[in-house]
Amino acid sequence: MLCTPADHRLSRRRFLGAAGGSALSLGGLATPAVAEKLKKERRQVLFVWLDGGMSQLESWDPKPNTPFGGPFRAIKTAVPGTHISELLPESAKLMKHLAVVRSVSTQDNSHSAGVDRINRGDPKNRGVVYPYFGSAVAKLVGAGDSGLPPYVWVKPLSGGFIYKDSGFLGPKYGALALGDGKPPENLLRPKELSAADDDERNELRKLFDAKYAEQRRREATEANTHAFEMAAQLQRKIELFDLSKLPQKDQDRYGTHDLGRHMLLARRLLEEGVTFVKVTSYGWDTHGDHFNGAASLHPKFDRPFAAIIEDLRDRGMLDNVLVIACAEFGRTPRINGHIGRDHWPEAWSVCMAGRGMRGGVVAGKTNDKGTEVATDPVDIGGLFHTWYKALGIDPADTEFRNGGQPLPIAHEEMKPVKEVLA
Amino acid sequence: MNPVAHEAMPRLLATLALAVALASPTSAADPLHVRIDAAIDAKAKAEKVALAPPASDGEFLRRAYLDFAGTLPPVSVTKQFLADTSTDKREKLIDSLLSGPGYADRMADLFHVALLERLGDSPEWSKYLRESFAKNKPYDQMVREILRADAKDAASAGAAFWLSKRLENYGQNAVDYSALTRDAGRLFLGKNFRCCECHDHLFIDDYKQQHFQGLHTFFKNVYLVNAARMLVAEKVTAEKTPFASVFTKVPMTTGPSLPGLMMVDIPVFPKGMEFTVAPDRKTNEPGVPKFSTRAALAEQLPTAKNPDFARNAVNRLWFAVIGRGLVHPLDLHHSRNPASHPELLTLLADEFVAHKFDVKWLLRELALTKTYQRTSLVPVGTDAPDPRLFAVALEKRLSAEQLLNAMLTATGTGAKAADALRPKFLKAFANQAREPEDEVTPSLKGALFVLHDAAVLDLVTAKPGNLVERASKLSDADAATELYLAVLVREPSAEERAAVAKVLAKHPDKRPEAVGRVAWALLASMEFGVNH
Repeated sequence: MLCTPADHRLSRRRFLGAAGGSALSLGGLATPAVAEKLKKERRQVLFVWLDGGMSQLESWDPKPNTPFGGPFRAIKTAVPGTHISELLPESAKLMKHLAVVRSVSTQDNSHSAGVDRINRGDPKNRGVVYPYFGSAVAKLVGAGDSGLPPYVWVKPLSGGFIYKDSGFLGPKYGALALGDGKPPENLLRPKELSAADDDERNELRKLFDAKYAEQRRREATEANTHAFEMAAQLQRKIELFDLSKLPQKDQDRYGTHDLGRHMLLARRLLEEGVTFVKVTSYGWDTHGDHFNGAASLHPKFDRPFAAIIEDLRDRGMLDNVLVIACAEFGRTPRINGHIGRDHWPEAWSVCMAGRGMRGGVVAGKTNDKGTEVATDPVDIGGLFHTWYKALGIDPADTEFRNGGQPLPIAHEEMKPVKEVLA
Repeated sequence: MNPVAHEAMPRLLATLALAVALASPTSAADPLHVRIDAAIDAKAKAEKVALAPPASDGEFLRRAYLDFAGTLPPVSVTKQFLADTSTDKREKLIDSLLSGPGYADRMADLFHVALLERLGDSPEWSKYLRESFAKNKPYDQMVREILRADAKDAASAGAAFWLSKRLENYGQNAVDYSALTRDAGRLFLGKNFRCCECHDHLFIDDYKQQHFQGLHTFFKNVYLVNAARMLVAEKVTAEKTPFASVFTKVPMTTGPSLPGLMMVDIPVFPKGMEFTVAPDRKTNEPGVPKFSTRAALAEQLPTAKNPDFARNAVNRLWFAVIGRGLVHPLDLHHSRNPASHPELLTLLADEFVAHKFDVKWLLRELALTKTYQRTSLVPVGTDAPDPRLFAVALEKRLSAEQLLNAMLTATGTGAKAADALRPKFLKAFANQAREPEDEVTPSLKGALFVLHDAAVLDLVTAKPGNLVERASKLSDADAATELYLAVLVREPSAEERAAVAKVLAKHPDKRPEAVGRVAWALLASMEFGVNH
């Protein structure tokens, strides 16, 4: 058990208190002009999180016929000279839309520390808890015109509103998690309650709450209002969750397994205009029987990932949507006694596509055996710079405000990976 | 001396005494609640922050009921209390609540949520907590029983649940001894040593790897034999724990030890002589070692000699009643995160020890303070003052259990319904396991539950004798009064009365349904949902 930034969590109320409640308004943005500019066009993110760590060697950076290469071949892609693992045949066909960084080198090799560090972009420690990338984008880009919360997380298992992702930005920028892609429990108004009666009682409730809020601290009352507003928003979008109305062909292309269904829902959410959609897939931590595991897991990623890239392209949405496939680390080149690969932050790959990206590019490389990065290593801070740049947000002239404290949006000593930027 | 002078003398003396009391610091002879207020007043004065006026009777009544009985007062009690003109009615109410039937249940819920953090529940554990608070068992004894975790001791069997729950496998993971060590430090010492497992804490100088490893040594040989029986056993501890910082790599060792206290000596017994009761391979009965680290911890931690114990206990009780720890976050007691009122924390800890860890006594003193009895209304047109000054009462989260009880009482629903509704309320309002419930965090799932769940809507449907049925039979004005007294423990304002009347007037032919919607709006309101 390593220590994580979550352990150094100071009370959210303290942050909010320090901000006098203003952290919940857009006033928290240092540069309102930038916020205005961002509102004029949709900027969206699809963040695919392969929890546990996908092997770079069986995906974006294969090393066939080397001591650690494993049994799988490398195949040609649509970009001459670029090869990826044979376990990602559909992605290979779309390579000219993809940008891969093969020189990712990060710090933490435990899940608990790595997940947090990668998601928060590992800024310098300033005694505050930084937001996850989704919360940060929700804050910087805003909710847009979707009528839905800016940060929606499609994941297996349970759902709910995950406010912890938001760090010092405050609960409002947390993730609305759709457990197993399903709408939250109790979303629908019962039939016995007419719309008119429902409106009437809610008007009363709002009246009572407004009265109560007049003389109270703002944090809790605003969070309460926010919870009810989100409930109303989601209720209006109930049809989103009914994937059965989509063409059978779509369901076949994405697959009926969790990640397939969740990616299809992600497409629907992006079409609807949600700013940041995160899709999580669990089970990538293949310490044992890795190669059989990868043979089954990687296609489950490959098909829906390629399908959503195609669909976004066909809808002209790749100009708006930045797509990222990422994990907390890669996997060891060394194959352990259980025929598994362990945690390997030293040299791994991240794949991107869409908005702001130059397709068909591979940046950086690892050595012949894949054990080390052979070019300038890219830490997660550098990837955050890259992603912000791709979204048209310049970390040099944009900062967060935590109360009076200005905070850089990305590690100020790191730089974007220019090769992959359009 | 003439009669007039005679008459004037006592008054003059009283005035003089008052002046002296105001001018001089409080003395040790004063009751604790007076000394608490003096400390709070002095700091607010130094910071030039005005103290809020006392809470209204309704606000106070509601707060005290939720805090010490875990529910709302019935309308009859509210009416009686509001009409009572005696000056000592608040003190009397506090005493009646602390000796009332709801006290032990409320305390059991409070400590269950605080100590188990929704890891699980068991009837034996609740029974243990309820019975302990019903007889006002000293807190040191309770913690001793919890740490000793002896399920075979009939008098404290349920206490073993705390440790046994933390010794279970967590999903597919092995027993998380690191988390057990962390939680024991957090919950019983107010110190979170999680970041010190592998090295001294990187930015809390007071927290050392030795602290984690010393505490860990009490637990590392303890294991769960049988979860259903809460049977915890222990392997022989014969050697110190070796450890080294991942940075310095200097090899170190430690025996069982608590921060600031003497390390416990590990006695050495000849091979084969380590057990009082040897393990029985045939029956799988675990042995009982002569030297038990568990017993050593139970003897050493909850004592007056361990200042961390009392300081953490009073800080957590202060938090539960006042809404924010003197030290906050609750599990980060260290020199760079001092108490907002350092002398007050010391005073509370010293008095708690002097009163033999008497929880009820301390709660009574806290409830008698002006600090507790202040309004939570922030003066109009001003920003809320720094919560660390306690100048305005703080809003407190209501637990799922309090919300359930309060809804049942308010709607005039029998307590029999509680068991069926509890799982739903826990799902809607409790945090995930391992997440402390120490902040007001209104949630989407809570909002959707209140909005649409059939169980909630059922509570505001007219049924014989319940609130909605009662109020439906009253005039508009009286219906509003009844609803407000039942749900919000206060009379409605003229404006609120008008808003209610307006809704009711629209539905003369469907009055119970309309009354039900008004009742719902009150139950769904923030004013109902927090303890303010």
